[in-house]
Amino acid sequence: MTGQLSRTVIEPTNPRLNVSRNANLPHSPGIRVGEYIFLSGMGPVDPATGGRNLGPIADQIRQTLRNMEHMLASAGSGLDRIVKINVVLADIQDYDEMNRVWREFFPVDPPARTTCALQLSNGNGVEIECIALSL
Amino acid sequence: MALQRDVIAPKDPAVDMSPNLNLPLSPAIQAGEFIFVSGMVAIDATGERMHGTVAAETRQILAAMARVLELAGSSLAKAVKVNVLIYSMLEYNNMNEVYREFFPVDPPARTVCGAKLCGGSKVEIECVALA
Repeated sequence: MTGQLSRTVIEPTNPRLNVSRNANLPHSPGIRVGEYIFLSGMGPVDPATGGRNLGPIADQIRQTLRNMEHMLASAGSGLDRIVKINVVLADIQDYDEMNRVWREFFPVDPPARTTCALQLSNGNGVEIECIALSL
Repeated sequence: MALQRDVIAPKDPAVDMSPNLNLPLSPAIQAGEFIFVSGMVAIDATGERMHGTVAAETRQILAAMARVLELAGSSLAKAVKVNVLIYSMLEYNNMNEVYREFFPVDPPARTVCGAKLCGGSKVEIECVALA
């Protein structure tokens, strides 16, 4: 092994999407370690207002993935560099709808993925986290 | 130098559920020194969902996971972190009894959580392993 890996905090370029800072939560939006980027669970936050978009589940998922794209871009990466993604739904009945939206964002060589349904905060219908490679 | 991102796609319906169930995910991705394996549910030899007891599903999943890792040049012994989702935490011991058969020594770090799973599966298991 070479020298010790560095650990740096990643924050979104758009401050309205910096949920952990805006809501004073004790987590970082993301952490970069060496070539790997670990993003916290993200929800459907409106990038224009910082408020929650609690509309139809397909819109929530699209919004969350666009926010994830922004986070990764802020760290010099992108959706196509995601290696593992975890989707938590509030309702497992939304599984098929989630898959439909998924194909819009990951048309080829999609990331490894795990999906389940759990209780989520703030009335969110979805929360998504990922591990990505830097460019 | 950016790390390479390689899809691991076993051309075997018994271990790769994504084509049969038409799911938009890769069974596993190798990234640098690590292999990230998608959450796996129990499937039969034709790639259809297999419904059984928690013990039976756990055994089927871990056997398939071993094959996915072996196809990528790794193995269960090189798993560093495993996450297990089960439909009811009351089944925790039933899962553990089978689980320990597959990891007799120095088992990986692990988290278990009770969750609602898709398609009526009782167990779903994912892992990160060394390449």
